[in-house]
Amino acid sequence: MSGDTARPSSPDLSTRVGPLRLQNPILTASGTFGYGLEFAERADLHRLGGLVTKGLSLEPLAGNPPVRIAETRGGMLNSIGLQNIGVDRFLSDVLPGLKDLPPKVVVNLFGYAQDEYVRLAERVDPYEGVAAVELNVSCPNVSKGGIEFGHDPEILTGLVRRVRSATGKPIVVKLSPNVTSPQDLGRAAKEGGADILSAVNTFVGMAIDTATMRPVLSTIRGGLSGPAIKPLALRIVFDVAREVDLPVIGIGGIETVDDVLEFLLAGASAVQVGTALFRDPRTAERLVGGLGERLRAEGIPSVDSLIGKAARPE
Amino acid sequence: MAAVDSRGEVLDVQALPLPYFLLRVRVAAMEPAEPGQFVMVAGANRPEPYLRRAFSVYDQEAAADGSLVISLLGKVIGRGTEALAACLPGERIPVLGPLGTGFHSVAARSPGYDGSGSGRAALVAGGIGSAGLGLLAQALARAGRSFDFFYGGRSAEDLVEAETFRRLSERTGGRLVKTTEDGSAGKRGLITAPLEAGLRASAGYTTVCTCGPHGLMAAVAGIAAASGVAGEAATETPMGCGYGACLGCAVTLKNGGYALCCRQGPVFRLDEVAW
Repeated sequence: MSGDTARPSSPDLSTRVGPLRLQNPILTASGTFGYGLEFAERADLHRLGGLVTKGLSLEPLAGNPPVRIAETRGGMLNSIGLQNIGVDRFLSDVLPGLKDLPPKVVVNLFGYAQDEYVRLAERVDPYEGVAAVELNVSCPNVSKGGIEFGHDPEILTGLVRRVRSATGKPIVVKLSPNVTSPQDLGRAAKEGGADILSAVNTFVGMAIDTATMRPVLSTIRGGLSGPAIKPLALRIVFDVAREVDLPVIGIGGIETVDDVLEFLLAGASAVQVGTALFRDPRTAERLVGGLGERLRAEGIPSVDSLIGKAARPE
Repeated sequence: MAAVDSRGEVLDVQALPLPYFLLRVRVAAMEPAEPGQFVMVAGANRPEPYLRRAFSVYDQEAAADGSLVISLLGKVIGRGTEALAACLPGERIPVLGPLGTGFHSVAARSPGYDGSGSGRAALVAGGIGSAGLGLLAQALARAGRSFDFFYGGRSAEDLVEAETFRRLSERTGGRLVKTTEDGSAGKRGLITAPLEAGLRASAGYTTVCTCGPHGLMAAVAGIAAASGVAGEAATETPMGCGYGACLGCAVTLKNGGYALCCRQGPVFRLDEVAW
């Protein structure tokens, strides 16, 4: 446990991400940690800064047919298809077990139409245990909806504006990397009233089975994640943090303390750990401990002092 | 049963010969696996391949000091299995387990289905699929429940550990039946032929349990259904995490839905799966 953070010499790991205050900058990414509680036995949830739920829709979704994943060099492709239990079951069965834990619960929302995002935001709005909503407007794995909201600035502004009017919760917009200029979409989200940007979602990719000579994934294309995308994601976080006046949560192949530091230095106020959890379910809590040790060893007083440092002139 | 993520100490790796290998790992605090359960493992300190690999627990032994020695029977087919076959004694490798729903639990969750009933069992392995039936064969032998072990492969060298399965089945009054596609061991042909003959000859089977290539398990499911015999299959899919987080290991069920191979499976009733 992090009881030693009370010692005066201990670095301050807490971070402010817009209206969100986190005990440390390590969150788990949507779709990589279920709804949180399933993994209580394998990970010490208390230590996390926050957790982002699996994407929730109005109705439960069964997801895509197999094959859904393909390992690649330094990562994996997925095409899960947003399999989830639906927002109502999450609120009634899962949230009660999460709401009193120290990590902030960010609820990832997904709809096939703008109206669905609005209704989802209205559903979660009354729940105190929900610290923020993250809008998935960039999932590459569903045939309609989703991705179009995150690829057209005008549509995105309109969508965020409608969600804004449906909830007082902080709104995080998760940006797609599969556009020429993610910062344009970030600006569009801000114009609609977003509080925070998270960057980035997975990169669209594919794999082909040379034995069958067919695409590996049932949907042909899938989202690439893991260490392979880290430099790509870092560049986007750097650009978005510099050019859009909103706090950013960095996502993309984060697995080591150095990865966390890089994203903070690029301008992220916090990070989400995803695919690395599949390799080692304790990655996130290990990073919390490792980050504290590293800052102490280097005499760095706080996480806050690192944010965006690489973007500022020396 | 809680799965534990820990570092296991590699005791040894036997080439059986290669590409087949038997990896023995001592894990300090792991509960014994139920037949059909698996562990997620990777080579020591290797950045690649990125994801761990799912391995059935083939054999296990509780040591006096409270640790558990697990044996993983594998075949080198890619980077993950290569890394495991290359493990050195003393190396520490990640081991998460035991995971999944095994043969006994499938029976428990299926009302009216007596998976571990009193009748005879037919165990059907295709190649390295035998790894998924190791603990089951032992459990049946311990319980004194008679079974025949049907073991099919391309060639004689693909029937690894055949003598172990012969010994276990003979202990129960059963026997080992081998087939190979090239005729180098047992009868030439596919293992489904003697299985079908056995079921038709009323050998008294009340259960068929299988593990192997998808095509074999699908065929076994069809043969068992035609004979009115229930059974189970230990399935395999690409897996990301092994513990229910990535939702990548969907198995399509007959009811049109999906189940996770790592949680509801890897063992399913033969009549649940849309083969």
